[in-house]
Amino acid sequence: MLSSLSRRRVVVLLVLTSLLLITLDRRSSNSVIDKARQAFAVILRPFDIAAEAVSKPIANAWYGISNYSNLKSENEALHDQVEHQKGAEIEAQTAITKFYELLKLYHLTSVHSYKSVIAQVVGAAPSNFQNTVEITVGTRAGVAVGMPVTDGAGLIGKVTKVYPDRSVVLLITDPQFSVQAQVLSRVDVGTTADSTPSSVPNTALSGRPLDSTTSTSTTIPTTTTTMSSKTTTTTNPFGAAPDQTTSSTSTTTTSTLPEVLVARETGNIDGQSAGRPLLFSLLDDTAFTTVKIGDIVETAGGTKSLAPQGIPIGTITAMRQRLGSRTPIVEVEPNASLTQLNFVSVVLYVPNQAAI
Amino acid sequence: MRSLPFALFTRLIPVALVLLAIQRTVCATYRIDGVVVQVVLALAAGAGAGAGSERGAFAGFALGMMYDLGVGTPLGLTALAYGLAGLTSGYVISITPDPQWWLAAGFVAIGSAVGEIAIPAVKFLTGQEGWLNNRLLVVIPVVTAAATLLSPLMVPLGRWCAGAKRRTWRAIPE
Repeated sequence: MLSSLSRRRVVVLLVLTSLLLITLDRRSSNSVIDKARQAFAVILRPFDIAAEAVSKPIANAWYGISNYSNLKSENEALHDQVEHQKGAEIEAQTAITKFYELLKLYHLTSVHSYKSVIAQVVGAAPSNFQNTVEITVGTRAGVAVGMPVTDGAGLIGKVTKVYPDRSVVLLITDPQFSVQAQVLSRVDVGTTADSTPSSVPNTALSGRPLDSTTSTSTTIPTTTTTMSSKTTTTTNPFGAAPDQTTSSTSTTTTSTLPEVLVARETGNIDGQSAGRPLLFSLLDDTAFTTVKIGDIVETAGGTKSLAPQGIPIGTITAMRQRLGSRTPIVEVEPNASLTQLNFVSVVLYVPNQAAI
Repeated sequence: MRSLPFALFTRLIPVALVLLAIQRTVCATYRIDGVVVQVVLALAAGAGAGAGSERGAFAGFALGMMYDLGVGTPLGLTALAYGLAGLTSGYVISITPDPQWWLAAGFVAIGSAVGEIAIPAVKFLTGQEGWLNNRLLVVIPVVTAAATLLSPLMVPLGRWCAGAKRRTWRAIPE
């Protein structure tokens, strides 16, 4: 009966059915469709396992043969990188300890206040118009829709669908992704213009005080250092005057470090699809901005935010002047390498329903 | 010729499950210039080129529904796109009832291009903006080329899945 329909009727029938289904699915909660998806996932699982079991050894063997030299040089480069990072890690650990102490002292919360579960990425999106990955934890591990997901480098996305043992994560590069973010810029008073990118006019940065509507600033207090007097004994290496003792007069020097302002600009980070940088837009785009290339962008937190404060997102890589507006277009390169995800961490932070 | 619902349940669904698993594992992992080759779309277009517009449209719709359920895209979105792919490639049967392989391959290419471009277009219409961009200039040619290469396999497979038979011709003795 179906195949006896005329072509025009077939088109009308398919379009109407599809639109009805899309409408039903886009409603906030549709238990029938969710159950159908879960059942289909169970049916599809053995086929997935079989396809992976057949394809993986062949692909690995081919990759090993064709990329042997690349893998060897990459391995050596990574060893070097690890050695370089050992020193930085010790320094970072000290800073983290101090950070914890400060948080405790002021009863503040941060991303470190929340538990997290580790998951493995098992699949990328099979569609060209969807930036998602599938991970190996679900409701049984306490994961819920809306929770932020990070890897070692920073935020990678949020959970959009949850099943008992797996979840789907919408990556930050997806055009549907948006999260409240903040940029903490260190502005040395008097040197502001020097650090401005050439593409952005300096007038936009020097025209107004930092306590504008979108930015809050913190002044790091001026430091006074007093140097104590000292006596040094030196030996002339050329032997002209052996064992000559030089005594310096006792002096007290007072040096003043430049005043430093830490400006906090808040706004939204939006994805623009895979392979393209994220877009940072200020909450109040009429305000002047202190952000500059190289500044770190992190989640802003707050009751209406998707994620707690302090999860790094990326670094500002470009600022272009927007036509008809004084605020620039700010592009952010994500910290996380979204094409090479393996193990990720789901922060068990339940965001406000409005943020999801 | 089998009835369409019978063919959809007994032939299309098992084949679609296998292709969907290949799509989710192999194609999603090994990309060409970052583009995922769409084997399920190639089957939808192949079903149209092998069995005609109407059967191709229903086969494409069923394949798209399974894709939406398995991948997590909004239910009905891929179904509509793949239905259009099957419908478009099926126009080849209107030109000639038994098309040559290259003609069928050409229509599979057109059908798969229509199906792939329909996804961001429908997403745009349903409020999911951001996908109609320059990236399509890379995505569409890669997906179309892959579907064309797969057409010698997908056209007969699609015809069988849609329950149609290839026409046989017999010379009439004088």
